Parts: sequence; C-alpha cells; structure tokens
Amino acid sequence: MRNPARVGRALGLSNLLRLIFLVDLFQGLWVTFRNQHPRNICTEQYPAERPKVAERYRGLPRLNRNPETGEPLCIGCNLCALACPENLIVMTSERNEQTKRKEMVTFTFDTSRCMFCGLCEEVCPSDALELTQNFEMATYTREGQVLTRKMCEEGIEAKRYKC
Amino acid sequence: MAATPWEGELEQELKAHFGESIIQPATYLGQNFAVVKPEAVPSIIAWLHDAAKFDYLVDITAVDWPKRPERFDLVYILYSFSRNERLRLKTAIADGYRPQSIVATHVTANWLEREVFDMFGIEFAGHPDLRRILMPEDWQGHPLRKDYSILEQDKHWVQDHLGIESGQ
Amino acid sequence: MPDATFLDSTELVLNMGPQHPSTHGVLRVILKLDGEKVLGTDCVIGYLHRGVEKIAENRTYVQFNPYVDRMDYVAAVSNGLGYCLAIEKLLNVEAPPRAQVVRVILAELNRIASHLVWLGTHALDIGALTPVFYCFREREAVLNIFEKYCGARLTTHAFRIGGLQYELYDGFEREVKAFCDMFPAKVDEYEELLTRNRIWVGRLVNVGVLNAQDCKRYGVTGPVLRAAGVEWDLRKAQPYSGYEKYDFRIPAGRNGDTYDRYTVRMEEVRQSLCIIRQAVETIPEGPIMAKVPKVIKPPVGEAYVSIEAPKGELGYYVVSDGSTQPYRVRVRPPSFVNLQALDRMVRGGLVADVVAVIGTLDIVLGEVDR
Repeated sequence: MRNPARVGRALGLSNLLRLIFLVDLFQGLWVTFRNQHPRNICTEQYPAERPKVAERYRGLPRLNRNPETGEPLCIGCNLCALACPENLIVMTSERNEQTKRKEMVTFTFDTSRCMFCGLCEEVCPSDALELTQNFEMATYTREGQVLTRKMCEEGIEAKRYKC
Repeated sequence: MAATPWEGELEQELKAHFGESIIQPATYLGQNFAVVKPEAVPSIIAWLHDAAKFDYLVDITAVDWPKRPERFDLVYILYSFSRNERLRLKTAIADGYRPQSIVATHVTANWLEREVFDMFGIEFAGHPDLRRILMPEDWQGHPLRKDYSILEQDKHWVQDHLGIESGQ
Repeated sequence: MPDATFLDSTELVLNMGPQHPSTHGVLRVILKLDGEKVLGTDCVIGYLHRGVEKIAENRTYVQFNPYVDRMDYVAAVSNGLGYCLAIEKLLNVEAPPRAQVVRVILAELNRIASHLVWLGTHALDIGALTPVFYCFREREAVLNIFEKYCGARLTTHAFRIGGLQYELYDGFEREVKAFCDMFPAKVDEYEELLTRNRIWVGRLVNVGVLNAQDCKRYGVTGPVLRAAGVEWDLRKAQPYSGYEKYDFRIPAGRNGDTYDRYTVRMEEVRQSLCIIRQAVETIPEGPIMAKVPKVIKPPVGEAYVSIEAPKGELGYYVVSDGSTQPYRVRVRPPSFVNLQALDRMVRGGLVADVVAVIGTLDIVLGEVDR
C-alpha cells in the first residue's frame, strides 16, 4: 500500500502542497476543534446527577413482597441457592403449620462474591428475588457486603452526599 | 460416545499411509477425528501438513482420565485452509510418557505444548523451551489434573513469595 | 580500560513489566535490546490466570455460562456465543431463527465495541490522545443497548444454551437502526483523524510485518491474518448462527503490516454495520428458546466449535461424560496464539514498535491467561 503521506514526491502538486502545508495535521485539529461545541459534551456529573440505568439492570438483590397483601413472595424452594454458581445464597425455611406451606426464615446473600449473573433471578418461580437497579453497593467492611433478609427486603439506600 | 465410522477420501489415504497406527477413525456430530498411536503422531502430522495441506494447527490440548492406564488423551486439532476441513487427532498416553514435540512442523505448537506441560505435566521431547507458561516457574503441581483439587495451592510457593500462610 | 565491566556490552535486557500502560493488561515482555533495536523478546504471561478451565469442571453447564464472559472481557458477547454454540452442538439442538438473528445482531455490535476499544487504546499507545475519547463515547451507545437488553454492559451473559433468555425490549430495533445511522459518520471522523495523518502513517507502515505464510505457521487468525492477504473468515468459511444469509465482504490487506491491520479493522466495522442493518430488517417472529431440558446433560461425547471472535478464532472443545458438569472445557483463545507471533514481528525493529505491535495484535490478557 502506498504511503499516503509520502506520495508528494512522486505524484502531483496537490499532494506536495498537502505535505508542505501540514494539511493532514490541520484536518485532525479541525475534528478536535469541532468537538469542542457544548452540545458534544458527554460527561455525566456523577454524583450530582445519577445515571438512569435500564430496567433489566442486574444490581443489588431485593426480596419482593406481594403488593396487595404485603406477604413475602418467597416460598422457600431453595432454587436460587442451587442455581448460584458461587453458592453464596444461604437460606433456611420451615413449614408453617397454619397455611401448610413452606416459608423462608433466614436468607443471606453475599454480594462480595456475587458476579450479578442473574441466574438466581431467572430461576425464582415466584418472582420474589429480583436484581434491582441499585448499583451503589460500596461498604466500608467486608462483613457489610453480606446482605441479610431484612436488608434484602427493605433494599439498600446509598448515602447521598451533598456536592 | 456414539461415534460412527468415518469413511472418506482423507481417511482412506491415512489408512493407506499409516496402516495400523490409525486405530479408530470416526465421526461424531459431523466432526471427524481419529485415534492414533502416540509414536506415529509427529509423522502423521508432518504428512498431513505436506501432502494433505493441513497447514494450520488450531489447538493442542489434553484430557485427564485418571481411571485409565493410559491416563491422558492428547488432542491435536488441525485445519486446512484449502480444503476448509477440520480434523482431530487423539492419542492416549500414560503418565510419564514423553511425546515428541511437533514444533518443527507447526511453530504454533511452541506455546500450546508449553501450556499442556504446565497444566498436565506432559513433557514434550524435543521442545526448544519447555517451561511453565501460565503458572509461576517454580510452582509445584499440575493444576488441570483431576487429582489436583480446585482449592489446592502450592503452600511453599505462597510462603516463599507472598510471605503468608496459605489459606488451604 | 582496566577490566571489562557490564558497561562494555551493548546488549540491554529491559523489562516491560506487568504494570505498563501499553501492554493492554498484565503482560510482561522481557526485551533484549541493542540500543533501540530489538534483538529478542520473551513474553511472560499468567498474571491473570484464574483457572477458568478448572472452574468449568466444577460447575454445571448453565452455571458456567457467566464465567465465560470474563475471559475476553472487552467483547463478552462473543465468548458467550461460542460457548452456547458448543453446548448446543453437543446436545444436537439449534437455536430458533429469531434467536439466531438476535445473536448475530448482538455479536456484530459486540465486534464494533471491541474494535472501538482496540482503536482507542492503540491510538493512545502510539501517542494520539484524542481518538480514545471519541471511541469510548460511541461505545457508550453500544453498551447502552446491551444494558437495556440483558442488564449488564460488560459482562453481559446475554445468551443461554438453546437460545436467548430475554425477549427484545421495546425500541430495540429503533435504537439499533439509530445507531447504524449515527455510526458511519463517526467512523469517518476517526479516519479523518488518523488515516492520512503523517505521524500515524509513519509509525504504522512497514512495522510488525507478518506475511501470510508466517501467519499460517504461527496459527494466527483474525484481522492479523486478513491483513496479510488471506481472505479467510469463519463467518464465511464455516458459517454459524445464520451468517450465511447475510451479504458482507471480507476486508483484506496486502502487506501484513500494522497499517494494513488498521484498515482491515476499520473496514470490518463498516461491514459489521452492514450485517446489522440486514439483520435488523429481517428479525422473524417466533420462540426465542429451543427445546432444551431443564437439567442439561449432554450425551457422552466431545465437540469442537469455533467462532470468529473480534480477535480471531475462538474455539471451545467440550468433553462431556454424561453428567451435569462438563468433564473438560478447553478454550482456544485467539489472543494467546496471536501473542506468540510477537517475537517474530518485532525482531529487528525498534523499541517503540513493540508498543505498536502489541496494540495491533489486539490482545486481551483475560483471554490469554484465562
């Protein structure tokens, strides 16, 4: 392939002029200059403005409740724990004598090893476990990364700092 | 494996040239493979390269079957640009057997054989530079062997290099 | 001079350490130099080795799917596609037509995203500080589509064995078409910045030449092979997932130098747009998942399936022993095999060319080390 910048010697006045007057370098500079217009700004000022993440975003987990009755939707089937590749969901359940159904008692979700693959959410038969749009999951301790049942049901609210 | 016998032009030529070194030419799911004797591998690969135009060595890998006397299955995957055909050669070798390296025919084999050595402990005779590639040089143990547990670490290496007790 | 000291020798061993902005990851290259001329190199890899193949033997087929994205983390969708195709081959099922078309669209978008990262970082290594910002700005558009589709930008876990998990979201076709309309102008912008720039040309032409014969000897595939003049692409030679239905060209170079690899990848991006435009017009209706059992237990056997990933031929050799966990999964990484050719390409060149060649090989250490 012929070296486009060095053809000035062999062919033509126009290429020679391109070479002498640094046309290719100015072309690049014009592109950069064009992009200085304020409409081309694409920086998001986080944390002042939070990004809008997609509906299907796989963030922190949440245990849903039935919106009408307020009962937890989890039926204690343990499928999420079996589906997890990292085996980080640990739950216990016991049989409720009155309703004759299994109920979840404790639920532990270790987000420090979670890869947010969504397999637990996919396999849940009652749509109880859902990965929300919450991506702000930083804690100061490793123990704080383990979510208990209460944290999963209420959801984690990230502390909003004043900027 | 529900493999069916492979009948084709290439298989006929292989059988004609190498006779009983080709133990079992078969096809599974449309992919041709042949189980061959380990001593014949370099000459088969050289013949495939020169005469049958299999000029691209796709991969060399191994599979560990610890219950068999011939513990490892060394697998060579070859491809021919002109014929647009892929071929697998498998050979069963015992622990401690040193197969001949095919670096002379395919330069690609250099790092691929180093990785097989690193992960399985299969030493290749005639390899110009056989040392570990993915694990550190002084690591003991060959990780992809079935008797190497997934949580196992080389405690001495961790102690010497990281200065901590290995968690295992 | 009283006695010889090490200062007398003209050979210098320089360590381009695992922490280096230009090595595209944790790659250590030990260079033997004579002044600025490179006499030999030795690559030390394994700093990112996570034992993915060993993990595969301890997870079920479905559970291993998310791990595969983390190998070539820049282009995660292709890894998932290769793995799903390999297991589908073992199960002898084929994804339904709708799933195949969506897979093609996502795979090509993923190829564009991968080449954008390549262009940005390669230009950055050479010294052009501007293209990286523009490339990542456009990459945001692609990653937004991925996020809306499957919920994650980088480690997508987009495909499942047998088809797709998620139905297309409302507005998928509209957004993809909008991207296809917006993007060619941006590619022209990158070309305006780089293609005829004398600094770019001077740094790239005749640097790191790998001719066709050497490519085949070293087993190098992907854009590196195509730049050497061999018009070979697995999407045309052994089509998968419905690629035979689309009309696209395979770009090829002539000399096999770094500039040719640049033009080949830019043209590949344009051809990917062409494929996406054709695919998005013809998404058929129908199911998105084939009839695959709940617990995946392929019959005893093995298969090798490879796809044309953005970096080269990505192959999966899966051995099944009839249980729910694979017996052996071998990933044939294109970057690992391409990196072997580094020594051949930089010998006799200058030190600055080592950086250019590492960039042009487009390696991702997650894939090299697994």
